[in-house]
Amino acid sequence: MRRPLIGMTAYSRQVQYDGNDLMAGMLPMTYVRAVHAVGGRAVLITPDEPGTDVVESLDGIVFSGGNDIDPAYWGAERHPETEVDKERDTAELMLMKAALEADLPVLGVCRGMQVMAVAGGGTLHQHLPDLLGSDHHRGAPGTDPLAAGAAAYGRHDVTVRPGSRAHELLGERLTVNSFHHQAVDDPGSFTATGWCPDDQVIEIIEDPALTYAIGVQWHPERTNDLRVFSRLVEAAAKRAGLGEAALAV
Amino acid sequence: MRPIIGITTYVENATWGVWRDLPTTLIPHDYVAAVTLAGGRPVLIPQEDDTDVLRALDGLVLAGGPDLGPEMYGQEPGPHTVVRPERDTAELRLVRAALEMDMPVLGICRGMQLLTVAAGGTLHQHLPDLLGHEKHRPAPGVYGEHDARFEPGSRIATLMGDDLAIRCFHHQGVADPGTLTVTGRAEDGLPEAVEDPGRRFVLGVQWHPEVVRDRRLFGALATAARN
Repeated sequence: MRRPLIGMTAYSRQVQYDGNDLMAGMLPMTYVRAVHAVGGRAVLITPDEPGTDVVESLDGIVFSGGNDIDPAYWGAERHPETEVDKERDTAELMLMKAALEADLPVLGVCRGMQVMAVAGGGTLHQHLPDLLGSDHHRGAPGTDPLAAGAAAYGRHDVTVRPGSRAHELLGERLTVNSFHHQAVDDPGSFTATGWCPDDQVIEIIEDPALTYAIGVQWHPERTNDLRVFSRLVEAAAKRAGLGEAALAV
Repeated sequence: MRPIIGITTYVENATWGVWRDLPTTLIPHDYVAAVTLAGGRPVLIPQEDDTDVLRALDGLVLAGGPDLGPEMYGQEPGPHTVVRPERDTAELRLVRAALEMDMPVLGICRGMQLLTVAAGGTLHQHLPDLLGHEKHRPAPGVYGEHDARFEPGSRIATLMGDDLAIRCFHHQGVADPGTLTVTGRAEDGLPEAVEDPGRRFVLGVQWHPEVVRDRRLFGALATAARN
């Protein structure tokens, strides 16, 4: 029995490894492992123009974290702290629209959630510290804010709206890690269903009219709580006509 | 719709932006660009010991990388051999299944060596010991430039035409090609190209055509994958 094939959007950028310094198509292994851990098979989708044809070959798709989206997409001026990735913007907004159009199961993580909102006609806050007077949504790189004994920086609760898809999946409250300085302002065609209770920053968006389209502002792939990935892979398996047995891992 | 071309990948501890030494699936962008320019849709294949992913592919690029574990061809590792056993296992399984499906495959550098080992062949583990020179890997980050000789009438001879220049970066090489046919050699006689004339498109090259986005080779793969 084969596993459902899950596309994951990848970075295309300069990286250093093992004495090399070069442009690479890449994605942290945490994303790949999250999909494999819940019974999917990951393939990485590099930024590409003009193509969305790859959507036809996938059973589900994850829009990954990364840099900021160009605010020109929602008609705003660029904030000095906004660092865009134009190549991924172009490619991922096209891919997102095609995936939603095809009702392909979609999970957006961090930047991926923001791509969802923008693709749906929404807008973002470009720099949360300006709005909140604090940078507590941005944990230090390389840290695990959920580790026992970690400082509260980069860790907060999320409250989930009763009756939503997210509520059915995650319950009414959970604690998450947090590594972002932008956030969804207007979710556009999506519905906001989860918030940080401290400051009302939107943490979850979804489209209940679609099979599975959910975006989360945190990084579940860096935790043991992979429920949003599990549900994605279940929806992908169902779409591909695969039975429950395919997901026995 | 473009043919979908899978590219095998590395797992390395990578550093970028604010992130340091994170285990990362990656592939030099040259491979992605070469497939795109040749009219294919690249997707990257993270290492996993399975063949499920082949279902979605029309063609496969076996990318360069570290040395193959010599136990795969019945030898003990030599002092200069640097391996990634997990990648070996995953890629050998993948290439065998791809060949069984008669999927078009282009093997590059390590990928050519993988095709060779899958065909029952063997490798030289450190060419300077054999050849007494380092022209196939002159220095870190420097490609050795050669003119290759191709077997008249072979696929690679047809694709390359009159431009015989190749850019190499390797310290291992094909000793016995197994069931493959050697169709190109360097001036020193080392195999530079292998093919399986019995299959739709199975070509291995020891050099790095992705660096110059060589449309002759990637285009031929994309065309075979489209058919």
